[in-house]
Amino acid sequence: MYAALKNQLYNWLFQLRGPETGVVVLVQRRVFILPTRQGIAFAAVLLMMLTGSINYSLGLGFVLTFLLGAMAINGMLYTFRNLANLRVTGGRALPVFAGDTAKFTVHLENGSDTDRHAVGLTRDRKEAAFVDVPARATAPASIGIPAARRGLLRPGRLTLFTRFPLGLYHSWAYLQLDMQCLVYPRPAAPGMPLPPAASSVGAGIERGRGQEDFSGLRQYHAGDSPRHIAWKVAARDQGLFTKQFSGRTETELWLDWALLPASLDPEERLSQLTRWVLDAHAAGLSFGLRLPGKTVGMAAGEAQRERCLETLALFEAAS
Amino acid sequence: MTDPKQAIALRHLLLLTLSLTMVAAPHAARLPWWLVALAAVLAAWRAYLAYARLRLPSRWLLPLIVITATLGVYFHYRTIFGRDAGVALLVAMLGLKLLETRSLRDAMLLIFLGYFLVITNFFYSQTILTALYMLACIWMITAVMVDLHHAHAEPPFRAQLHTAGALLAKSVPLMLVLFLLFPRVPGPLWGIPRDAFAGVSGLSDTMTPGSLSELALSDAVAFRVKFTSSIPETRHLYWRGPVMWDFDGRSWSVPRFLYGTPRFTTGSRPIDYEVTLEPHNKRWLFALDLPGKVPPRAQASSDYQLYSHEPVITRLRYEMTSYLEASYGMEEGRYPIRRALALPEGFNPRTLELAGTLRAKFPDDRALVGEVLGMFRNENFFYTLTPPLLGENPVDEFLFSTRRGFCEHYASAFAVLMRAAGIPARIVTGYQGGEVNQLGDYLIVRQADAHAWTEVWFKDRGWVRVDPTAAVSPLRVESGISAAVPLTDPLPLLVRGDFEFLRQMLLTWDLMANSWNQWVLGYTPERQRQFLAKVGIDDATWQTLAAILFCVTGLIVAVLAVLTLRQLRTRVHDPVKIAYLRFCSKLRHKGLPRDPAEGPVDYANRLERLRPDLSPAVAAITGLYISLRYGTEADVTGLRELRRRIRQFSA
Amino acid sequence: MTQKIEKVVAQVGGIILGKERQIRLAIACLLARGHLLIEDVPGVGKTMLAHALAASLGLNFQRIQFTSDLLPADIIGVSIYSRDTGSFQFHTGPIFSQVVLADEVNRATPKAQSALLEAMEEHQVTTEGETRRLPEPFFVIATQNPSYQIGTFPLPESQLDRFLMRIHLGYPDNEAERALLQGQDRRDLLEGLKPCMAAQELAALQQHALRIHASGALLDYVQELVNHTRRTADYINGLSPRAALAVLHAARAWALMSGRSHVVPEDVQAVLPGVVGHRLVPAGEVGRVNGADVVAHLIKQVAIP
Repeated sequence: MYAALKNQLYNWLFQLRGPETGVVVLVQRRVFILPTRQGIAFAAVLLMMLTGSINYSLGLGFVLTFLLGAMAINGMLYTFRNLANLRVTGGRALPVFAGDTAKFTVHLENGSDTDRHAVGLTRDRKEAAFVDVPARATAPASIGIPAARRGLLRPGRLTLFTRFPLGLYHSWAYLQLDMQCLVYPRPAAPGMPLPPAASSVGAGIERGRGQEDFSGLRQYHAGDSPRHIAWKVAARDQGLFTKQFSGRTETELWLDWALLPASLDPEERLSQLTRWVLDAHAAGLSFGLRLPGKTVGMAAGEAQRERCLETLALFEAAS
Repeated sequence: MTDPKQAIALRHLLLLTLSLTMVAAPHAARLPWWLVALAAVLAAWRAYLAYARLRLPSRWLLPLIVITATLGVYFHYRTIFGRDAGVALLVAMLGLKLLETRSLRDAMLLIFLGYFLVITNFFYSQTILTALYMLACIWMITAVMVDLHHAHAEPPFRAQLHTAGALLAKSVPLMLVLFLLFPRVPGPLWGIPRDAFAGVSGLSDTMTPGSLSELALSDAVAFRVKFTSSIPETRHLYWRGPVMWDFDGRSWSVPRFLYGTPRFTTGSRPIDYEVTLEPHNKRWLFALDLPGKVPPRAQASSDYQLYSHEPVITRLRYEMTSYLEASYGMEEGRYPIRRALALPEGFNPRTLELAGTLRAKFPDDRALVGEVLGMFRNENFFYTLTPPLLGENPVDEFLFSTRRGFCEHYASAFAVLMRAAGIPARIVTGYQGGEVNQLGDYLIVRQADAHAWTEVWFKDRGWVRVDPTAAVSPLRVESGISAAVPLTDPLPLLVRGDFEFLRQMLLTWDLMANSWNQWVLGYTPERQRQFLAKVGIDDATWQTLAAILFCVTGLIVAVLAVLTLRQLRTRVHDPVKIAYLRFCSKLRHKGLPRDPAEGPVDYANRLERLRPDLSPAVAAITGLYISLRYGTEADVTGLRELRRRIRQFSA
Repeated sequence: MTQKIEKVVAQVGGIILGKERQIRLAIACLLARGHLLIEDVPGVGKTMLAHALAASLGLNFQRIQFTSDLLPADIIGVSIYSRDTGSFQFHTGPIFSQVVLADEVNRATPKAQSALLEAMEEHQVTTEGETRRLPEPFFVIATQNPSYQIGTFPLPESQLDRFLMRIHLGYPDNEAERALLQGQDRRDLLEGLKPCMAAQELAALQQHALRIHASGALLDYVQELVNHTRRTADYINGLSPRAALAVLHAARAWALMSGRSHVVPEDVQAVLPGVVGHRLVPAGEVGRVNGADVVAHLIKQVAIP
């Protein structure tokens, strides 16, 4: 009961809501400010100076003490201003492998005519990334969050804070942005060779360069196999052309869950499949992926690699 | 660099060292040389370590230096407490802290120490120049503080100076309010170290030949006087100070105990004025002869000396009333009369002899006085700042051989002659004259105006002022010391009137210094009460004051907050857009807000559906807006038309 | 000028019922010299739209039915050895025409697709070392079945970018469907279409569209939109500079069609779903929203400067 109440109060006080999409404007209600340890020390110094001024009747001592006191109050406004009314947008996070560090980027847009300095972004208050956001400009702030497990990694609650310009105050705002990073399974150590490619199975039109039917000529590009150069055309002095063929791929490489020994636990299998996907892609092969209840069709290239890795990342093993 | 534990960069270290050096520099002249050297070596060492990226010295070294420095300070000052020793220790500690500065947290501590060091400078000097210099120091320190809190890439230091300057400038209104309204309590809260007010000049309680002429070389201000009505003529301006009764043959001194209450009858209208007395670490207060009242926290002796209850260690302001013509001491008792006749045995025999002769010739006291003054006037006496040195019997030597002297010589000789002739006499020291600052309509009395004169007692008249100097050099009392002494005499520049332009400038400066003293340095609890009474807050207790202070501070902070946070709004620069936004805000107040992502045409269409009655005006405004903001033509008349229509528009 | 466009709209609208907005977008696409991709299930009138447009604008028209065995040569043309001249002679393919309807473009192999896309991009065809210019105006309307249908090669995102706009026709509403059912056979109607403007007039309009004024404030808006897509996590990737240009071109054409000499934010908003719908891929586990909704979300998010 007490805990729930406390939680409610906390949520109300700090305006904690669920993840937010789109642009988050740090309205003044969302920005909080408290003195830092240095700020309290400064107050103590001011108190000492005040007693000293009273004791020695130092007219200038009063002037100095009050000037610094007024400056400290003004500094609070400055620190608050350094954060308030920033427009925050959660950026994209590129996929990473488990065990790596996911980099989350938050874009800070400063629509005002005042430069913002030393705005920090942190998740755990231990490590922070600092950026300056000049007037009428946008700056990205990125923090790394270790991706321990495959799947979707959400950064959770982030804190945007600043102590600029005097360090006497800590001003902060909580951000709960709808950001996520796809975490691929950690690839197993290289070693296990790719499974043998099966001979093609009849139906279906498969993508990829075929080897069988001549389909036309195109201009030669560096890297084309010399076997496919249309030498006859070349002999007529019409320039180099490459013969193009269509047809089926010779082989089909299926990276299959079932091919892996049953002794491996599901995560290890996924790791191994991930390794295979990477190896197959590196070898420029066309491949498909078969998981229990999920199949990614035969294809090659960057998109296929990503599609397979995403499937592996989000795969939920039937338990 | 915003993490408190983060290591400090070379740039920050150098800036810190520079700013702390700036603050500590005025102390250098006052500190023992070895301490200055120690602080400089520590700072240079730290800078070198940072530059060469070397490790800081090991921790055991620091206590060693601390102990050495403390011992050194102890042996130099014979204490480690008190003002001078405290400042010395603070400077030494600052150097040490600099040496062991590793992180932002240490740097912040140094900054705070730097601010504190600023205030210690005010123990020694609170002039306008000091204030300006210290303001520059504060500016610098604050800029360093801003610099410390930049993340990785600091802009050029100029930008930090700008930020810090703006911050400080914006703090001035609040500072003024705090200064004026913060409830002042009379200090001190605890015992002030004895050395706090050493080395101020002024009159002393003894007078020997040469003591006043020494003082006359100083153009330091003794006090300033503001008259409520016009300033009396210079020859009436006798500022009464210590009164001396006792003569030991060579020097005069103020008696320790004085009994009786002063009584007087007035012969003229009272003159009201206000004295601002510079601290002189003695108890006398000065007033125009003859003081007609006693300031608060002071008392008067029977010979009309005004004594403060405690030594004047801060600038003191008091209101006074005086009577230029008054008779006093009519019923002087036997004891004081005997005291005013006493002369030491065996000194100045020729003077005694002269007195005897004169007494025989002039039985009437007044005639005798006139004869002696006539002697000073007609015989070959000179008024000079540089009299020859006098020996065992100074009055004899002065009267019969040197005949050159400053006011104390004349006063002393005259008084001795009078006493020897059986006329009670005493010496009054103080100041005579003063310089009128036309700019501020007040009078400046300097140490150079120090003067000594005599008072003789007639049975029927009481004590009467006789100034033998006036007989020798009438100019002295009519036009001031600069007119009276020969041009070859060394006089402070300010007292002489040769450089008129310079003099004007210096007078202006003194006016500023006076207002400075009145309002900044001398803003005491009484002054605060006066000020509050002037603005209509009578008898303010500290509670009401605190409440007022709280409200005014809150108001100022609110205004500052609005001004500061207003800059955060996304600024629109296009006048067309500004006009259109005004149009939108008019509609918003009527509950028809425009979505930020809604274009003008869509908005107009929606408005037409919701409020067909507004249609013509909305259509005209929207059309104008679109053609001005998105169209090709950008003309002033269009904008004017748009503004006009929007002004007239009401939903 | 605008009246002629209105006539075209009316005439095409008489055949494709209840789809005025799509017709206007298609014409704007043509005026902006872009190519159009229509994505929808079969039978909603994609081919009819292309046909009607070509006929109303007085342009010659060719239709290429894309199939899985379509070869690039079937599109571009082929060189055939002529015994009479003793040399190869080029026989132009269907691409050499002013309006090309590439029907069911995702049924063909990527190779055939890229032949079409290259021609679209460069307005010329290079084969066997010879470059041949395509006619002007050159306008490709490609239709695509929804990618979940079997046996399709969905166009990769990089190639979708070549199309200025992608529109959905969608099913007709009730009223339109009833009119369709009651009305004449569409094919007969198509026969009866007369060109509303000459080819030169169309070229002039295309020229005019380029000169429509886009003020600084409007360019700010376009940049804000593009920047927003680049910043937020809502999309897999932000809009390219080419997309930004496409938005501006299309908005100019839309402003021209609305009879204005300058672009207003509404023009941008009107063409935005068509222009960026196929270029923006929403982030998230699965596409949470379809193209139009993604763009509606984008429009809502970005304040007009």
